[in-house]
Amino acid sequence: MTEMFSTLFGQNEAQGPPGSSLGFGPGKPPPPLPQNQVPMAGQMPPQLGDDGPALRKPGAMNEPFYLLRELPVGNELTGNTNLITHYNLEHAYNKFCGKKVKEKLSNFLPELPGMIDCPGTQDGSSLRSLIDKPPVCGNSFSPLTGALLTGFRLHTGPLPEQYRLMHIQPPKKKSKHKHKHHRPQDPLPQETPSDSDPKKKKKKRDDDPDRKKKKKDKKKKKVRLFIETSSSVIMCFY
Amino acid sequence: MAEKFDNLEEHLEKFIENIRQLGIIVSDFQPSSQAVLNQKLNFMISGLQDIEKCRQQLHEINVPLEVFEYIDQGRNPQLYTKECLERALARNEQVKGKIDTMTKFKSLLISELSKVFPEEMSKYKAIHGEDAPS
Repeated sequence: MTEMFSTLFGQNEAQGPPGSSLGFGPGKPPPPLPQNQVPMAGQMPPQLGDDGPALRKPGAMNEPFYLLRELPVGNELTGNTNLITHYNLEHAYNKFCGKKVKEKLSNFLPELPGMIDCPGTQDGSSLRSLIDKPPVCGNSFSPLTGALLTGFRLHTGPLPEQYRLMHIQPPKKKSKHKHKHHRPQDPLPQETPSDSDPKKKKKKRDDDPDRKKKKKDKKKKKVRLFIETSSSVIMCFY
Repeated sequence: MAEKFDNLEEHLEKFIENIRQLGIIVSDFQPSSQAVLNQKLNFMISGLQDIEKCRQQLHEINVPLEVFEYIDQGRNPQLYTKECLERALARNEQVKGKIDTMTKFKSLLISELSKVFPEEMSKYKAIHGEDAPS
């Protein structure tokens, strides 16, 4: 250990020109090290091009130390402090990291029509391609006059299937909200969450076909009544 | 700041709605729709002009390019913000761990050096003050 330090120090002596800008006293060579004294870590020369803290002034230096650096200022902003709290980002942190953020782009832009969850590279609609290859166009937008609009005369009739992109919409789950609106009218307590009650859902689903049957029966009865009454009316005429 | 975004958002929404209506007209085109189509096309141009005007108000806004990658992949750009915050916190904790470890190492080194080189260390403490081991 001591050998290593001494060899380092020896190298320094050999390399460092006296009175250089490495922090030695003006025109004063580094003090010779006594034979029995072990050099300290603080004596190690700085690396070339090292822009560390300012060196201590020669006047303030005490033997056996030289090239001592000033300690870093305590109030400097470092990773020791919670930087999220420091920059008042707790709200943003809780908002984005507290709950699960939905994966798809359509969850972020629900009002945007079309299939926006597909990768943009597939149909050449990526923003990256817009940056890499900006469209060649003029600097201003001018309205189309009558002559220019003739180019937009279209054939009548529907578009072929492969071009009907406007009609394709990602599946939306809006039924949950509807159920929530009806909840307050229910006599059952609200503490029970809707998802944890599969029986209720089943019941509703089971009820639906019955209701449909009843409605159908009612309709049939009405039709029968109508036919009977109309036939009786016709008979009366005859 | 928010007003600038609101203005742009409003223009973008109008533009998108106009494009959607244009798509509907074009998807099943009727001869009587030509006048409406021409009108919608000019609305589109005026919409682009409005968006262009918003550009002047948003000169100082910088958007990280990584966000575009998220959007291009059909992913929610809020995930980028989330991952950025998580990464920042993780790095913050790592740096804090390093600082704490180095502080402990420094105090231990000074205490050990004080045992072996008491005179030198007393001088060192005289230079750096008593708070040196901290």
